[in-house]
Amino acid sequence: MEGSDSLDQSGSDQPESPRRRQLDRLSREEAFYQFVNNLSDEDYRLMRDNNLLGTPGEATQDELISRLQQIKDGPEQQETTPTPESGEDPTEPPEDSEDPASGDSLLDLLNTVRRTGNTTRTGHRGNQSWRAISQTNPNSGDFRFSLEISVNRNLAEQQAAAEGERETPDDTPEEPTESAPEESPEVSLEEAPVSQEVLVNAEPQVPMETEVVEEPVVEELAVVVEPEPELEEFVSQEVLEEPPSPPATVPLPVQPPLSPSPRRGQRRPRSRSPEPRRTRARTARSRSPLNLDQMDGIAYPRSAHSFQGPNTSPNNHPTPQVEGSSRTRQHVLSRQSNVDSDVQPSGADPETVPETQNVTSQEGEAAGGEGSAAGRRPPTIMLDLQVRRVRPGEYRQRDSIASRTRSRSQNSNNTFLYESERGGFRRTFSRSERAGVRTYVSTIRIPIRRISDAGLGEATSMALQSMIRQIMTGFGELGYLMDSDSDSSDSNRGANTTADLSEALNNPEAAPAAPPPAADVEEPPVAAGIRARTAETDVDEGLATGPLAPGGRARPRPPISLEEPSSLPFLRLAHFFLLNDDDEDQPQGLTKEQIDNLSMRNFGESDALKTCSVCITEYAEGNKLRKLPCSHEYHVHCIDRWLSENSTCPICRRAVLVSANRESVV
Amino acid sequence: MQRASRLKRELQMLSTEPPPGITCWQTEERIDDLRAQIVGGSDTPYEGGLFSLEIKVPERYPFEPPTIRFLTPIYHPNIDSSGRICHDALKLPPKGAWKPSLNIPSVLTSIQLLMAEPNPDDPLMADISSEFKYNKQLFMEKARKWTQEHAVQKNTGVVEGNKENNPDQKALNRKREAQQEGEESAKRSCV
Repeated sequence: MEGSDSLDQSGSDQPESPRRRQLDRLSREEAFYQFVNNLSDEDYRLMRDNNLLGTPGEATQDELISRLQQIKDGPEQQETTPTPESGEDPTEPPEDSEDPASGDSLLDLLNTVRRTGNTTRTGHRGNQSWRAISQTNPNSGDFRFSLEISVNRNLAEQQAAAEGERETPDDTPEEPTESAPEESPEVSLEEAPVSQEVLVNAEPQVPMETEVVEEPVVEELAVVVEPEPELEEFVSQEVLEEPPSPPATVPLPVQPPLSPSPRRGQRRPRSRSPEPRRTRARTARSRSPLNLDQMDGIAYPRSAHSFQGPNTSPNNHPTPQVEGSSRTRQHVLSRQSNVDSDVQPSGADPETVPETQNVTSQEGEAAGGEGSAAGRRPPTIMLDLQVRRVRPGEYRQRDSIASRTRSRSQNSNNTFLYESERGGFRRTFSRSERAGVRTYVSTIRIPIRRISDAGLGEATSMALQSMIRQIMTGFGELGYLMDSDSDSSDSNRGANTTADLSEALNNPEAAPAAPPPAADVEEPPVAAGIRARTAETDVDEGLATGPLAPGGRARPRPPISLEEPSSLPFLRLAHFFLLNDDDEDQPQGLTKEQIDNLSMRNFGESDALKTCSVCITEYAEGNKLRKLPCSHEYHVHCIDRWLSENSTCPICRRAVLVSANRESVV
Repeated sequence: MQRASRLKRELQMLSTEPPPGITCWQTEERIDDLRAQIVGGSDTPYEGGLFSLEIKVPERYPFEPPTIRFLTPIYHPNIDSSGRICHDALKLPPKGAWKPSLNIPSVLTSIQLLMAEPNPDDPLMADISSEFKYNKQLFMEKARKWTQEHAVQKNTGVVEGNKENNPDQKALNRKREAQQEGEESAKRSCV
């Protein structure tokens, strides 16, 4: 279907296939321009905002038209499509139902979700209730999967939890299973030979019960992968093309119903093991409580504010000034180690895969923290995975702004938002509390640019796979932890991911990804004693590396110390994904809103002949032009793309906005 | 990719009305890899030389600048020994001044200008730069010599004889010779 329409148009002087491809491309570009010209403003915006335009020449006109149709129909679809399935099947199946195989399985997973369209599944098992929602936007190829698991003592509560984050605070843990495991960790703490600082030890016990009990915590993790063009094709294309299968059909990945206790048992032993990391694990548990405390105290005052990422850059967390914070970190670390041991029973080489482990563990850790807390209170854990298509020209700036906006809206509810950006990686962390429910939202955006730059389909796909795998892995960890804590495994997705994750960990493939990040981060091979530190170190480094490190630190710090614990894991993950340091120099672009505010008009016949200096093409009648304040005009699609990354006029370099800073936006 | 259509147009421009002293062509039908030659301007130490450049066009062109480097060794404060050019039009803002309204011909022209008027205040080669500033005579001499050695075709063989410079210079020369060999063929085919 490619270029079918306009081959003839472009003179084909050379039969060679590359040549031909070029020509096809050119003809498609022409078609693209025509298409864009014929779009109404509204449609144009719709498509642009949904990243459907792609780059000229990428898609044929027919494709573009169908995309437009789809996006228009989209909203309805979404509403109609969702197939709610609720069921409780405690007996959940086969652990290995999903094949943990290689990258393919991951993709399959994604595809499956996509095919499924929008689905919601809920169920509960034992004291755990879960809800998995997968949403696919067929048009854009965006896909989102979220898993929410809550562990309650009471069924009633379960329901509530499932419903949302509104749980009422629960009382102390009554469940034997859970509580038991919890305790063990503490014990281990004391036993733990090592390195844990005194602070850590002392604290954990106290805080744990106090706060935790009262507050239900909702944790939401969002990972946004922004694939660059090639990636898009890779992932989304497939998805799009596949015929949607009935949601119901899709097999839910099931976690093996493992009894929690056994798992825990496993952990402990490991943690006790001489290795420093493991030892620390104990502490982790305390972490969540601590954090909460801290958060309570500190967070509020500053809560309403968003720290801007780009400038600030990632780094606020790391600073270990406050006792509390340092503590937290340690906890985190320890948690990690637990995780690690759990996940990788095989004992993958710490050395080889350190990054991976860390990352995953961190994420898992967050979950773990919650999970451990679970024993005491009814926590709800929410996983939110989003895969979005991003138009090549469109940059994270926009998205980040969007997300920022989103979070900002929550400010009224006592939200604390933290956003950081380092290199190509952007992380947003926000916390809000209302009605006794705390919500943590952490979003990570990873432009996979470097990989895509490689430009090789194969390489790309491999890279992408590993990236996704990593992400999934992270979630998997979460799921795993949750499962182990709750000891029932209902979350289909969770299970899936878990499996993938474990695979990933063990899988050599995962390893390759690790090295690059390592380089960036310079994560020192962690010495046992240093382990606890590592987390900090990483963060700090991130700061240092980050363009604005100093500034970032200064500001956010104080408030952030609270968040740190939760955010840490993500940071880790971030590092993992930090493939590009060179992105730091990326110029900043305008937001969609800002771009839309610029005037637009249609090129009329009366206009003198002019050429768009971006594409060096003469304007044709009906072309949409955008006029910048300096009165230079360009094709809308040309200038929009430029402005999404830059803030000056391509001709005169005058700033398009007086203050083109992102600050102004916020 | 806007790149394809834009490059097509640019190549047209280059063939129909090339900037004086500049030629540019596609290599082997590859749209992202161009070659160019700049004639050393008169009244410059590069006079009489023919300098080859390599132009790589990134995927995101014109939203990103092309990558251009000299293949022919040139003694210039803003061009390093591997041919990289320190020129703001070749970098993205905020550091650089690339903008999509620039194009290959215009960038080549500005490089031509840079050859005629080095910018010692933004040096890539510090020593050459200070030489340019404080001992222009010497600079001119050396630049001319390099031009003779590397950029003037008939002088290919001469390089061989000049090995008595300091060791560094020798190594450099060797490198350059190697480079030059590659270029010679290109030059012959196009000039």
